[in-house]
Amino acid sequence: MKQPYTPRPNSNRKFVGGYRPKIDAWEKARGKVEYVDDITIKSRFPGMLYAKVLRSPHAHARIRAIDVSRAEALPGVVCVMTYKDPEFTSLKPTNAGWTDGVDTVSYDKKMWNQFNDRRVLGDYACWVTDEVGAVVAAESEAIADEAIRLIKVDWEVLPFVLDPIEAMKPDAPVIHPDMTANNILPPEKMGGEDVFLDKGDVDTDFANAEVVIEATSTHHNATQASLDNWCCMVDWKDEKFTLYSNSYEADQTRMHISQMLDLPLHKVTVISSYVGGQFGRGDTGEQPFFLFTAILSKKTGRPVKFKHTRRESFHDSRQPTIYTGKVGAKKDGTITSLYFKSIGNTGAYADHSIFALKFAPLEISEVSFAHIPNVKLESYAVYTNKLPACMMRGVGNSQFNLIFGHVVDLLAEKLDMDPIDLCIKNFGHEWETLPDKSLTEVLRQGAEKIGWKEKRNKPGQGPVYDKTKKRGVGFSLHPAWHAEWQEVRRGHIPISITLNPDGTVILNAPTVETGTGSNTCNVLGCAESLSFLGVTPEKIHWNHLVNTDTSMKDCVQTDSAVSYLQSEVIATAVEDIKQEIFDRAEPVLKAKSADMDIVDGRVFVKKNPDQGLTVEELLFQGDLVPITITKSRLANPEKTGVPYFANFAEVEVDMETGKVDVLHLVVINDCGTVMFASGAEAQQVGGQVMGMGEALTEEIIYDEISGVPLNFNFIDYKIPTMADMPDIDPILLEVWKGAGEYGACGIGEGTLTCTPRAIMNGIYNAIGVRINDIPIKPEKVLRALGKV
Amino acid sequence: MPKSSEGTTKTVAAPPSEIKIKINGCWHNFEPERDISPTMTLSYLLREKLGFTGLKVSCDEGGCGACTVIMDGKSVLSCMILAVEANGHEILTIEGLAKDDPIVEAFAQQCEPGYGTALQCGICTPGFVMSTKALLDENPIPTMGEVKEALSGHICRCGCYAGIAQAVTHASEKIAKKGDAS
Repeated sequence: MKQPYTPRPNSNRKFVGGYRPKIDAWEKARGKVEYVDDITIKSRFPGMLYAKVLRSPHAHARIRAIDVSRAEALPGVVCVMTYKDPEFTSLKPTNAGWTDGVDTVSYDKKMWNQFNDRRVLGDYACWVTDEVGAVVAAESEAIADEAIRLIKVDWEVLPFVLDPIEAMKPDAPVIHPDMTANNILPPEKMGGEDVFLDKGDVDTDFANAEVVIEATSTHHNATQASLDNWCCMVDWKDEKFTLYSNSYEADQTRMHISQMLDLPLHKVTVISSYVGGQFGRGDTGEQPFFLFTAILSKKTGRPVKFKHTRRESFHDSRQPTIYTGKVGAKKDGTITSLYFKSIGNTGAYADHSIFALKFAPLEISEVSFAHIPNVKLESYAVYTNKLPACMMRGVGNSQFNLIFGHVVDLLAEKLDMDPIDLCIKNFGHEWETLPDKSLTEVLRQGAEKIGWKEKRNKPGQGPVYDKTKKRGVGFSLHPAWHAEWQEVRRGHIPISITLNPDGTVILNAPTVETGTGSNTCNVLGCAESLSFLGVTPEKIHWNHLVNTDTSMKDCVQTDSAVSYLQSEVIATAVEDIKQEIFDRAEPVLKAKSADMDIVDGRVFVKKNPDQGLTVEELLFQGDLVPITITKSRLANPEKTGVPYFANFAEVEVDMETGKVDVLHLVVINDCGTVMFASGAEAQQVGGQVMGMGEALTEEIIYDEISGVPLNFNFIDYKIPTMADMPDIDPILLEVWKGAGEYGACGIGEGTLTCTPRAIMNGIYNAIGVRINDIPIKPEKVLRALGKV
Repeated sequence: MPKSSEGTTKTVAAPPSEIKIKINGCWHNFEPERDISPTMTLSYLLREKLGFTGLKVSCDEGGCGACTVIMDGKSVLSCMILAVEANGHEILTIEGLAKDDPIVEAFAQQCEPGYGTALQCGICTPGFVMSTKALLDENPIPTMGEVKEALSGHICRCGCYAGIAQAVTHASEKIAKKGDAS
């Protein structure tokens, strides 16, 4: 029997923080929830066509000539367009990283404005399966597929490179010569110089430090693998443009369409419903496929659907990164200098690559390493002919944690210190003194749950189980980003609450529901705020459909922050609702607003509580017009520090076969305030599938000779199943508290950032040999043990 | 349409003149070629032609379990079965489950502390529910090992396996209780 979390003393919440089903659980369990592929089935849009795009069979190639005549002649093909058509040649060059989703941006304000390395439909391909050359619209998907096969292309096949170290060499093929002559993305204003932090003097400190350690770690390509494949449907006729998609950025998508196709915003409607998993995939939301689908719709005058197959949905990935880390310290464990250098494999297009390299290390340096006098950070993003890579449930955090947790473990070993003590001694945040309360409690609870003291061995020296197996424990920690002060860039966050005469509520807190449970958080927050009216979660309807014609701007499911951001705004709407009720009650109760109060849904005169009536009675007496309050505000910029999270792992390694079994995982997140306990625990438990997958089995494999990715499918890209997962203990804490009513932080990304490193440190503790590139497949273990 | 290569001696069964499939209790009649082509999968027929969108097609190659339906009492991957193969058989999709189906109820209600919910984004859920139904129909009180064995053909990328396992246990209890009551 597992235990519920312990809420902060005296928090007295009625609904927020509770254990209960998700608000959409019933519909989802019955299969009633509709995703974009369901909404756009042909029976609902009888004239609908299906689009397909030509994909490059080569890792690097240019089209010399194209012949689409056989495709055009195929019965059922309605339209074939190529890169030579003016609809495409007239489009501005773009990229798929306009924004990380936090804010809406225009073409000129793109985060990575310097890297317009994508054409919507060009003649140049930079990775196998790149969208290039021609698009087709046909009466069925099968016909569209066949038409693509009938297109004859004369390819100029170019030399390619997959490895970033190779790509940096002088004789390497240059992938985007107009961006960089050596494949290394040049410094730009958002990410800064290659050395993007240089505090104190690390070199002098390393020369003088009592202890210095150095290490590397390598994070391979993993993919988000949302089951809901990328899909869109565009109906563009009579100057009205409607897009259905499973992008999670409705407002941003509208801006993207408007700016790229030169349409006024009010003529563009973007509709998003439920999305079957996100995980950062849409952080490259400004996809060229929206635009070529649109152009096909305009050309044919019919709705056109473009649906990726599962194989084609291997489309984004976590950026593979090679890290080097160096730490200088005193013998008592005080860290005096830190140096991290990364080389990121950007893949074929820049997108958010620089963000993934520079954002996480910079943020952790500003908060957790603020006490350390010498810190230097350096990184290089390198184009290669692999699939583009940037965000995946975090942006560079997992990659950075892989080296961070490594140097911590290594230094502790060299100092003969418990790494938990080393962390407590050195890491905190800039606004308080050490030791940090959140960090200390996170590690204390994790250590207790995993059995840290009892189970930790001298590396490789533990007992042998079943003749060939050894066990070990490991952990890693990270500061949780995405407290409210980190969300100011979002701009105003709007919500509206409609109180119906019968006391039920319509909540418009627009966001594309991707499974995170933020909708339930918002309903609980709304019920909490309106509990003075007797409102319960069951009386609230949350509007799931985001339609840019009728919805306010959606709060994008990025930074794991929607769980509390909208609830904070909802909390500020209460006074307005009260005032509106008082205004309506004034003529009825013949009293002034200031003299009235509302308790349990009854409005009354404070001095004479008998003089009152229920809000329901009041509204039914009047004109029956519901009370609607619209509210928006910026995130609170008050700097409130950062909470921590950590993962602990117990592993068992078979010394004969090299197989690693994870026996137990403990996930500890300091949430500030738990908004919805079942949802938060679902994130904690669920995140381990991705974290453990990345640590042990998930990897995109390329044929080095041809550059062809070999496992763009769910058979060979190994996602853990139910049988693979160990017992997982989720621990929710409320130690830190941020600003506002709840002072919560996002945890979705933070549940798995540390999982790979925790497992790797556990493996080292078991076998006494370090393996520093994931995924740790049996052959790597055997190689490390000198057995192959 | 691929043509059969000339000169082969392979005997091909004559196509049926009519295809009949019982779906959620109702027989549907189809005309070969007009309604169902030889290469059409069962998942395509159910979703695209008949609108049973509760089943999801994600991988379309038997690797994820999202398209699971029940055929003659056994859970099957509808993307791996041709529509013509279902001729004369009985198919149950999630739309065919009763409103108060104990398995659906258990998946929806799971919120027991320590395991998380049984679903997040929900796209894999109908597949899991149908496999659970096939499992519990055959084995009403499965061990945790049997549950894992039965459901490990499914991917839940949100990772709700622990919550799903709890839901299956609770569904099993609900069914036993219903049985006792009747």
